[in-house]
Amino acid sequence: MENIAEYIKEGRQEEWRVELRKAMKAKERTSIERVHMIEQDPHIRNKNILEVNQGITEEMAIVESHRCLDCVEPTCTIGCPVGIDIPKFIKKIEARDFLGAAAALKETNTLPAVCGRVCPQEKQCELNCFYTQKLDKPPIAIGHLERFAADYERNSGKMNIPKVATPNGVKIAIVGSGPAGLAAAGDLAKLGYDVTVFEALHEIGGVLKYGIPEFRLPNEIVDVEIENMRKMGVKFRTDFIVGKTASFEDLREQGFEAFFVGSGAGLPNFMNIPGENYNGIYSSNEYLTRVNLMKAANNGYDTPVLIGKKVAVIGGGNTAMDSVRTSKRLGAERSIIIYRRSIEEMPARVEEVHHAQQEDIEFLNLHNPVEYFSDERGRVNKMRLQKMTLGDPDASGRRRPVPLEGAEFDVDVDLVIVAVGVSPNPIVPSSLKDLKMTDWGTIVVNKETMQSSISDIFAGGDIVRGGATVILAMGDGRRAAAGIHKYVAEKVTVK
Amino acid sequence: MADLSTKYLGLTLRNPIIAGSSGMTNSLKEIVELEKSGVGAVVLKSIFEEQILLEADYRIRQAQTDEMTYADFSETLDYIDLHIKEKELSGYLNLIHSAKNNVDIPIIASINAVTTHEWTSFARTIEEAGADALELNIFVMPFSLEKECADNEKAYYEILKKVKSQVKIPVSVKISPFFSNLGKVIKNLEKFGADGVVLFNRFSNPDIDIENLKVTHADILSHSSDVANTLRWIAIMAKRVKMSLGASTGVHDGATVIKQLLAGADIVQVVSALYEYGPSYVLEMTKFLNDWMERKGFNYVDQFRGKLSQQTSENPDVYERMQFMKYFGDIK
Repeated sequence: MENIAEYIKEGRQEEWRVELRKAMKAKERTSIERVHMIEQDPHIRNKNILEVNQGITEEMAIVESHRCLDCVEPTCTIGCPVGIDIPKFIKKIEARDFLGAAAALKETNTLPAVCGRVCPQEKQCELNCFYTQKLDKPPIAIGHLERFAADYERNSGKMNIPKVATPNGVKIAIVGSGPAGLAAAGDLAKLGYDVTVFEALHEIGGVLKYGIPEFRLPNEIVDVEIENMRKMGVKFRTDFIVGKTASFEDLREQGFEAFFVGSGAGLPNFMNIPGENYNGIYSSNEYLTRVNLMKAANNGYDTPVLIGKKVAVIGGGNTAMDSVRTSKRLGAERSIIIYRRSIEEMPARVEEVHHAQQEDIEFLNLHNPVEYFSDERGRVNKMRLQKMTLGDPDASGRRRPVPLEGAEFDVDVDLVIVAVGVSPNPIVPSSLKDLKMTDWGTIVVNKETMQSSISDIFAGGDIVRGGATVILAMGDGRRAAAGIHKYVAEKVTVK
Repeated sequence: MADLSTKYLGLTLRNPIIAGSSGMTNSLKEIVELEKSGVGAVVLKSIFEEQILLEADYRIRQAQTDEMTYADFSETLDYIDLHIKEKELSGYLNLIHSAKNNVDIPIIASINAVTTHEWTSFARTIEEAGADALELNIFVMPFSLEKECADNEKAYYEILKKVKSQVKIPVSVKISPFFSNLGKVIKNLEKFGADGVVLFNRFSNPDIDIENLKVTHADILSHSSDVANTLRWIAIMAKRVKMSLGASTGVHDGATVIKQLLAGADIVQVVSALYEYGPSYVLEMTKFLNDWMERKGFNYVDQFRGKLSQQTSENPDVYERMQFMKYFGDIK
């Protein structure tokens, strides 16, 4: 699939697509209301960890698919980092070929059930939809439809395992089993490579497992996708830290011809304000890992986690929303988001903010913590907040938060979760002295091939970007897979 | 050989010539060289809030052009200014650590503060890193058409008070001359806990290129003629405040060092001359000071410090006179 645009254009000319377009006038299509996701009741779901979104029915999916105009220039596809043929999979739904829709998604997306749930569609494909751009109407619910097709396939018992090429015997190592690693592994397996994914933790999935809570992305969904990859021949090794358990040189000696490093950004950032070391102040990474991966809140698990009654979460991204909603589910009486800009500037998905508001999460926008205080045992019991206002725009066009001189007040808290970003995991870089790094600890790569300064090592996702979305990381993984394929073809004699 | 040692902010310096905050005091290598050249102390390059904001904007633009740095919607990018600041500050603390481990002269850290917020808490970390003193380089641009003059001055006092509440090391304040009543402001700084004041900070100034019709930067370096205003105010304030007085701007030779000491300064800060002639120029300046003291029969600095301050000189009104009098007007 060298030229995605050409491929998409050709697909539009297929007879079945032409017939579908003729079957309903554009005006009729645009008059259909956008489908609404079925959700758990906010006051029930904020006490359980079941998935908030319940999916859409077949009928709803079919109605929604009729809204899609199958545009000549499908601008929605421009916004997709993995290049999904969006009109094709939607028209498959309209044609009631749901398994075909799932297959269309899997042509370029290894994890459609995941992306349908966690992608910021309103900032990518749906932002570029004709409805948004030209009609000033709600866009096609591309994310909902993606989820529907992937879930339908999974529940049908007829999971399509992508075809893999004849094995070429070339061993490739993937470091990290997060979205970047899984995307690279999937594409390389399709090309016939002997792929092994090395994961430092005891579970496969990286941030999809430890970072995103079950109420947004059930682990079962990730496990099914991983199982599919196993069926494609991908091998997984857990509790294996590349750079510690074995070095790159060890793995080269074992016959690995190339590496993809997708080891993520596991180092949490803090604000470095006074009192931030008190007990009861977690990074969002630690808090969510304890709850999501180590099941700290479940009976029968030994991992401890502090349960707060008055919880403050610092930040305005998806991790902040995940943390604050988790705290509510663990019994907090008051769970507050503290964010230094206004709600419009929050980087979190609009749906997550909306869901949090429905679940009685308080939002203290235009506030920033400046100091924490503790009781005599060193447990945080109070935080000092600085009121903010918005100043001139920064380079992103968003107005910069500026402190309001003299406007400070204290708030009682017993648990604080800091979600202000992460830094790259240093283990791989520190084990390779010739690896070219940025001064931010990210790996320098060629943008097209994702090749690093060490020719057999490719990288993508958070370890390259410092902070990425799931879909961007997957896009990196796919580009790296193509880069590795080219590298192997040029440098290694295929056995 | 005369005794050139002096007291500044309660610290004993081997001589009164301090390398002022600049690009030349931003690395261990240069600090070591400055010590070898004989400076009495070093003020490290200031950390500027403005610089951090510019760096943040650069990172955001990189992310927007897909230069493989951050995703537009990541929390890391959302707080990029915070992370840049953290990185800068961490580098700064390392510089203090390594300077303290490698040189014997006092190391004075410097913060360019414009607000009372997180920068003031950084003062405590600077102290923990081992800095001998802290210079607060404060400048609140006085162009607000809404604020009263007193509000601007209050900002200086608030920053100082907040920093003083955080640290035990001595704190000096480097200020500009742009106040409606500079003398009272300096007195107030002492009242609110300043251990010293440095007159004056030097700004980047605008200029206009009339050929290319462009706004440009004026000379970055000072000139020896820039010394007069500092000299005036050191002389006026000497013996009127108990805190240390530092003279900055326009100190280009040994003679000017002596003038400032005579006016009442405890130390002088040198930057432009070091850029122009290199760190070894300090040796020439100290030699000039030593030779002059020997020639005049002074054994130590306190024997002549402040001898020509406004309070002690025979012609004190020269320091106050701003307007040219009639007989100056006759000078062709």
